[in-house]
Amino acid sequence: MEDLFANLSHGFAVAVSLENLFLCLIGVVIGTLVGILPGVGPIATIAMLLPLTFNFDPTGALIMLAGIYYGAQYGGSTTAILINIPGEATSVVTTIDGHQMARQGRAGVALGTAALVSFFAGTVATVVVAALGEPLTRVALLFGPAEYFALMVLGLAFAVVLAQGSLLKATAMILLGVLLSTVGSDLETGEERLTFGLAELADGIDFVVLAMGLFGFAEILRNLESPESRNVVKAKIGRLLPNWEDFRQSFMPMLRGTGLGAILGILPGNGAVLGPFASYAVEKKLAKDPSRFGKGAIEGVAGPEAANNAGAQTAFIPLLTMGIPPNAVMALMVGAMTIHGIIPGPQVMTKNPDLFWGMVASMWIGNAMLLVINMPLIGIWVRLLNVPYRLMFATILLFCAIGIYSVNNDPSDVLMTAFFGLAGYVFIKLGFEPAPLLLGFVLGRLMEEKLRQALILSRGDFATFIENPVSAFLLLLSLVVVVVAIVPAIRQKKEEALNS
Amino acid sequence: MSNRVFNWFGLISVALVLAAGNAQAQGYPTHPITVIVPFAAGGPTDVIARIVGENMGKTLGQQIIVENVAGAGGTTGITKGSQAQPDGYTIMMGHMGTHGAAPALYKNLKYKPTEDFEPIGLAAGTPIVIVARKDFPAKDMKEFAAYLKANGDKLNEGNAGVGSVSFTSCIMFNVLVGAKPTRVPYTGTGPVINDMLANKLDYACDQIVSVSSQVQSGNIKAYAIATETRSPALPNVPTSTEAGLPEFKVSAWNALFAPKGTPKDVVAKLNDALVKALSDEGTRKRLLDLGGVIPEGKERSAEWLRDFVVTEVDRWDKIIRAGGVVAE
Amino acid sequence: MQNLLAGIILVLIAAIASLQASELSIGTLRHIGPGMVPSALSAFVALIGVCLIVTWMRGHRSGTGRWPTRGPLFILGAAVVFGLIIRPLGLAVAGPLLVVVAAFASHETRWGEILAFAVGMTVFCLVLFKYLLTLPIPVAPWLIGY
Repeated sequence: MEDLFANLSHGFAVAVSLENLFLCLIGVVIGTLVGILPGVGPIATIAMLLPLTFNFDPTGALIMLAGIYYGAQYGGSTTAILINIPGEATSVVTTIDGHQMARQGRAGVALGTAALVSFFAGTVATVVVAALGEPLTRVALLFGPAEYFALMVLGLAFAVVLAQGSLLKATAMILLGVLLSTVGSDLETGEERLTFGLAELADGIDFVVLAMGLFGFAEILRNLESPESRNVVKAKIGRLLPNWEDFRQSFMPMLRGTGLGAILGILPGNGAVLGPFASYAVEKKLAKDPSRFGKGAIEGVAGPEAANNAGAQTAFIPLLTMGIPPNAVMALMVGAMTIHGIIPGPQVMTKNPDLFWGMVASMWIGNAMLLVINMPLIGIWVRLLNVPYRLMFATILLFCAIGIYSVNNDPSDVLMTAFFGLAGYVFIKLGFEPAPLLLGFVLGRLMEEKLRQALILSRGDFATFIENPVSAFLLLLSLVVVVVAIVPAIRQKKEEALNS
Repeated sequence: MSNRVFNWFGLISVALVLAAGNAQAQGYPTHPITVIVPFAAGGPTDVIARIVGENMGKTLGQQIIVENVAGAGGTTGITKGSQAQPDGYTIMMGHMGTHGAAPALYKNLKYKPTEDFEPIGLAAGTPIVIVARKDFPAKDMKEFAAYLKANGDKLNEGNAGVGSVSFTSCIMFNVLVGAKPTRVPYTGTGPVINDMLANKLDYACDQIVSVSSQVQSGNIKAYAIATETRSPALPNVPTSTEAGLPEFKVSAWNALFAPKGTPKDVVAKLNDALVKALSDEGTRKRLLDLGGVIPEGKERSAEWLRDFVVTEVDRWDKIIRAGGVVAE
Repeated sequence: MQNLLAGIILVLIAAIASLQASELSIGTLRHIGPGMVPSALSAFVALIGVCLIVTWMRGHRSGTGRWPTRGPLFILGAAVVFGLIIRPLGLAVAGPLLVVVAAFASHETRWGEILAFAVGMTVFCLVLFKYLLTLPIPVAPWLIGY
């Protein structure tokens, strides 16, 4: 414990140097900006800014790049709430209730809640990183392919809970999402799967392409059709900040979301992505009146946003303590470290204490900065909703197009997004929800990969999933989640049948 | 998106360029140069491209922008690069996979490493290290090789998928020691190391930069490094010659190529900038820090690289045939 | 109608996917091949599609609403145009063109306003994406070479 305080104060001493404070500020400002811009994500930005960091010392460079990453998580919720576009896989859930709140004139409350719970979650998660980083890494090592597969199954079970309308249709969307994730070269044999012979599909479908199409483009189409619904957004601006009642409603979801997000964030293989989904599912199950969810329930913003930000911080644990990057952004951070002559791995903590503890301390400082930057911005964002929609949709479209192009510098991505925009539009018309599809897509690739790895390792013995306590528990939990989701629906059907 | 449509627009744009009387050929380079890196940002090839590119940009007086085009073991990006305008403003970082093993691994490869490029020069390579879980029951390379041979497919070798450095270099290693392990594909070497730390995988062949910290802290074992001399990053790990497997020499080399038809003077300018970067103290230190091997003397010329690619394609063809890998 | 159409679409998607996956080896349970997961998923999707058609036949017949074509045509068309010309002609042309084509999608468009807006927004995006975020977007290759 004493060590922890000594280390943390050492970290703060490093992080509050004028240069590092400045770099941290630059990082979170850029992060907020790219988070808000649809399509442009932290990956493209960090890759572009890597050369600029050549002239800084490694600690400063990494503080800035880390700031971009968690800053983007803040910014990502802004577009999710205001215009229903999830910039990142982790803000998909925020669109569900956050955007509904905006439509009800509660955009300010939603944005304010998101910012406040994110700060809380970021603070708690920073302490977790500092205090428990090392022991938690050992927990992450328990997760081999079999456990991972079970975790992904649990994630898909959450997606069923996410559904608002027909369970059958939601399940279809999940399966379609997983099916889309199999597009591209096969991991093991390199064969092209479901690519229709198109070279552009050989490397699979990009998340941004799918999300922008299904959410961004389809949302514009829907809004153009029904001018009434968006006028509602315009007419009422409402309160800009959450009040005591909002805070009271958000408090427990925030705590639970932080816990879930922090734990899932540690897992290698992008566990952080599951956090918001898990949190949403939990809140919907615990709520006295689950039917409020999907119609602007503040708990549906507070929990997932807390989980999102907690996960964004704890995702640094495997990177900093073991040198194993849990997602694509962290893989870039590995690159940033090696460019500066630091080989990521278990020795970073002892060999470069300045870097390790400086980064941990800067995360808390960065989160505080984000809160200070974002609260005043809320007023501006909400007023932006007053821009006439005839100009707004063209702007959104232009930003999306540029953003999508810049992901891989590939024009065919823009064409593919248009295709998914059309698909998303048809799906909405037919009563399918896009969120479960995205979750299936995000989890699907990893699920198949881990299933196949687990079976290769067990030489084809399915018992590997049950013999192993962690995966057995997770699979059992998935079963419970699905049953709990389905039973009320069936009961309702029966009652309807009796009444009619 | 069919290439024909793009070509069509390309033609229009060429016409427009000519009409505008744009003076591109004069005083190359007049605007930033793009280097296509055929792997995701953050990996060893990407890092080397950025380190070398930064210094080359200073010499050339124009920024060098890295563009990551990942996919299909790097061949997606190189295919794109080989079809770019040969004006010196689009070049690419090819490597052991894309310009060595790829023709043997991918039947319908859309470029020929030996014909469709103007070699610029070798940049830097990262040596391959044989690593195993820390309680692997073999104290040196000889015992390790014998154990692998005796236990066949009971052992699990982890790799980062078809076409990756870990995949191809381990084919070579397995052929040399006569091992026939169960090969487990992953989507990167990060998860391979993770599952090796968790004792789920037995061994892997990986680039030094991905494993050196784990080896030094004793989390995994290293049996040999596939170079002529020991690496300062892992001074205690014997070379493959010292360990008794002298035929196992493989390094993940990286080299700059321009599309075929790029003017000779432009290639010469790029080679000159590359050579200056490889002689620069700051750049050298960065490359050495990550365990890189820097080409010296004649290895730095474009002609040497041209011949080297021919021998590499030939060598990998034999190795992959011997490994019995049937790929797409 | 809604469930009937939804079911038919799912069955269609499943059919296309399983046709695409039919050349891939399914493998064995001991060693799953590349074709197993896509084929299995297609089968499940088709099954759900059939279920939806059955619910339609049993009388759950909610409507699908209107299907206007103007919005999809011009919005998605604008994106397609952007994708086709961004490489050869750059953002300086693709940006304004996207805004103008998209403007056809709404009947609230005022043409004078949208033209000025198209130019202004493109300049703003150039400054933001190209110069502040330094993303490698072609500006006007036909004029300035990049």
